[in-house]
Parts: sequence; structure tokens; C-alpha cells
Amino acid sequence: MSARWPDLASAFRRVALLAVGVLVWETAARSGLFSPLIVPSVTRIGYQLLLLATQPESLMEAWYSVARGLGGFALAAMVGVALGVLMGRSALAAAFFGPIFSGTYPIPKIALFPIFIYLFGIGSLSKVLLIFLECLYPIVLTTQAGGRAVHRVLLWSAANMGASRGRIVWKVVVPATAPFIFAGCRIALPIAMIVVIITEMISSADGLGYLVMYSLASFKTDRMLAVVIVIALLGVALDRLLVRLRNRLVFWERLESYYAE
Amino acid sequence: MGGVPRYGSRSGLALLLATLAIWQLAMRFEHPDFVMGPLEIARHFGEALRSGELLPHIGASLARSVPGFVVGSLAGVVLGLLAGVSRSLDQLLSPVVFLTYPVPKIVFLPIVMLWVGIGDVSKIAVIALACFYPCFINAYYGARGTSTIMVWSGLSMGARRSQILRKVVVPSALPLVFAGLRVSLALSFILLFSTEMINARSGLGFLIRQSESSLRFDLMYVAIGAVAALGYAGDQLLLVIRRRVLAWQEATSR
Repeated sequence: MSARWPDLASAFRRVALLAVGVLVWETAARSGLFSPLIVPSVTRIGYQLLLLATQPESLMEAWYSVARGLGGFALAAMVGVALGVLMGRSALAAAFFGPIFSGTYPIPKIALFPIFIYLFGIGSLSKVLLIFLECLYPIVLTTQAGGRAVHRVLLWSAANMGASRGRIVWKVVVPATAPFIFAGCRIALPIAMIVVIITEMISSADGLGYLVMYSLASFKTDRMLAVVIVIALLGVALDRLLVRLRNRLVFWERLESYYAE
Repeated sequence: MGGVPRYGSRSGLALLLATLAIWQLAMRFEHPDFVMGPLEIARHFGEALRSGELLPHIGASLARSVPGFVVGSLAGVVLGLLAGVSRSLDQLLSPVVFLTYPVPKIVFLPIVMLWVGIGDVSKIAVIALACFYPCFINAYYGARGTSTIMVWSGLSMGARRSQILRKVVVPSALPLVFAGLRVSLALSFILLFSTEMINARSGLGFLIRQSESSLRFDLMYVAIGAVAALGYAGDQLLLVIRRRVLAWQEATSR
């Protein structure tokens, strides 16, 4: 379906852009204008990347971050979808939970992190719960909007054919809401990554956020930049994975992805 | 999100009050030092306001978040609108923006700190960077979503390109632009407090950290309350402006 030439052209443009960026960086690093502490050369960053990818310890750090982020995100997705569908379909639930969600939505939940540390300890639990809380809002609010927008003809015809309430929710409401659910998840996933990295930067002894701060504090700029690249790639990869999952599950309506050109 | 038809917003308020009441009642039982009831927090809040412990930090936080938000979202909206209109700018900017969008922007804080120092500039820069993305993407889709017929009729009535941009594209993109601004505002607060928690000597994030480590839980709760109030006030301000600007678009979702 998709024309091959535009694909190739855009891929070429991307590679060219990346090459120009790398070239500029390398000339800046080699020019001697900046200290290697501030702009380390590409080869040194690449070497650190190689170390990161091959050392089991650093792979463990990445695993900690991913496990925390995805754990909080998955928890938020489960609770958020259930709550959002309920709020979208029941006026009582919407009136009950709605004001709390829309009222506390603009409040940065990250400010609660110190309390969470006291309540749930300094380990993973406080981080996972904070991620859960931050991710819950976009998922609940978009799912609720989707649940409200389910076409009533679909509901009527299902009821007319004798489906029970539970069956209608499961077979009509949830699939019809699925595009919204994924839209909410797509907002929440980068937030989960942000909060993992932030909480690990603030207080942790493991994870990629900790590794960034540790490398910075020990003046290993090349290592720090390598970790930043790993975090960036992780963010992009997780988002791509989510889009792929979405296009497989919501196969009847392909996502006009941000990246599709 | 208000205006739920059948039960009104009173039940939501009731839930809020009930939560506060249960919280307050639970304080009668034995509890650790770091747990406080709402009344106690309110009392400390008044004290901190009077003693002047709070206001300088609020000022310091606002001095970081407002410039960051304004610079980042202005750049995002302008470039997003232009990229939505001009094909060459689109091809130049969009691949970079959309590719780097899922990257957690906070990771650039250490890099920026290294380049421009650990002062306010690095914090403002990271906040601006984070605010740029939602504004760009929403303005971009807003501009691209302009109905072709409107542009055609504008053209056939003899409007110039700049007039089309100002009178057709911008108004039709505004609802999405405001959606982007709202996301950016929330993000700017998240980044503000996390950059202040990571390194700062003033500001609410710093106050939270400092009072936490010196076991002054009263001040910690006050600072958290101030954070919440600021976030809420900023959002409400944005919604009021939006209602003003978009008065013509009898909003379906308030």
C-alpha cells in the first residue's frame, strides 16, 4: 500500500540529519574550543555505549528502570481502564469520581514523592506508586471520554439481540473505547519514563536515572551522555512497541501515527 | 469536565469533604510524625505565610516556571503552526520533533547543567524544552486540520497568504493549541519541581526536599500544598483565558 519511494526518501533524510548532527558534534569536540569534559568526542561516547550494552551490571540498571516504569504503567492501565469505562458509562460513577480527577489533574503529583518515601520506603515501591498515580490521570480521562462516545446504535443493537449488561460492556463498550484507551496510554507511557528517571535522579542507588547523576557527579561526561542516549532510545522503543500493539489490537482503525509519513 | 447531567457536581464535592473528614478523624488514632491532618496542615500554612517562610520560595519557583513555559510553548506554537502550513519547514522539523517526542526531557537536565551551569538558566531551558513538544504537536495538527474549503474560499475572496494564516488557520487551530498549552503547563510544573528537587537553593521543590531532610514535616506539607495550589491556579487561569478566546466555539467539553 505505502509507496516505497517516499519511505526511502524520508529514511534518507533522517539518516542525513543524524549524520550532520554527529559531524557537527565531532568537529566541536575536536576543535579544541571546548573541554572534553563538556563536549566529549563521539568515539568516546560510542565506547561508553558499548560498555553499557555489554556489562551485565549496567544492563541490570536499565532493567530496574524499565521494570519500575512498566510496572507502574501497567498498574495504572489496569485500574485506569476499569475506572474510565465505569465513569464513561455510568453517570453516577462519573459524578462521584469526576470532580476528584479533574480537580487534582493539574496538581503535580511528583511533589508527593517525599511523603511516598516515608510511607512506602525508599526502594522501588514508592517510585512505582508515584508512576501509577501520574499515569492514572491521562488513562482515566481519555478512557472516560471514549466510553461516553460509544455509538448508541451499537449498544441498542447489542441489547436488542439479547446481550447481557456484562456482555455489552465486554464486547461492545471496551472494543469501541479501545482507540481512546490507547491514546491515553500513549500519553501515559512517556510520563512513566519521565517519573522513573526523575525519582531515580532524586533518590535511588540504582536505575538509569541514578547512573546519569552518578556519572555527572564523577565527571564522566561521556558515560553520562551514553546513558542519556540509552534512555532516549528506550523511550522511543517503548512508544513504538505500544503503537505496534495498538495497531494489532485495534486492527480496524490504523493509527495515523506521529511517525508515519 | 464539569456539567455531569444527572447527579450534579455536588456528589463529587461530598466525596471530597468525606475524604477530608475521614482523614481528620483518622488523626485521632496513633500515627507517626510524618502524617498530618488537614486542619493541622491548614494551620501551618497560615503560619508559614505569616512568617515569610513560604513566599520567597513561591517567587523563586514562578521566576523559573513562567519564563520556561512562555518561551517553550511560544516557540512550540509558532513553529508548529508554520510547520503545519509550510511543506519545506514540515520536512525539516517534524521528523526531528516526532522522533524525539517520547524521550523523557528531564535527562537533558544534566547536559544543560554542564553547559550553562547549575543556575536558573538550566532549569528554565529544560522546562522550555519540555513545554515545546506538546505545543508543537498540537499546533501542527491544528494547522493541518484546517478545512481546505475554508482556505479555498478565503483565497477566492482575494485574501493574501498572511491573511489566510491569521484569519483562517490560526483560529481553526486554536482549540488544539489550547489543549497543547494545558499539557505543557502540567509538564512545566512537573519539571519545575523535579529540577528543584535535584539541585536548587530556593523554590518550592527545594523547600520540600529541605524540610523533609530536616524533619520539618509541617513545612513539607505546606510546600506540597503550595505546589498543588499553584498547579491548580495555573490550570484554572488557562481555562479562563481559553473560554474568553474560544467564546465563539460554544465548547462541547468545558
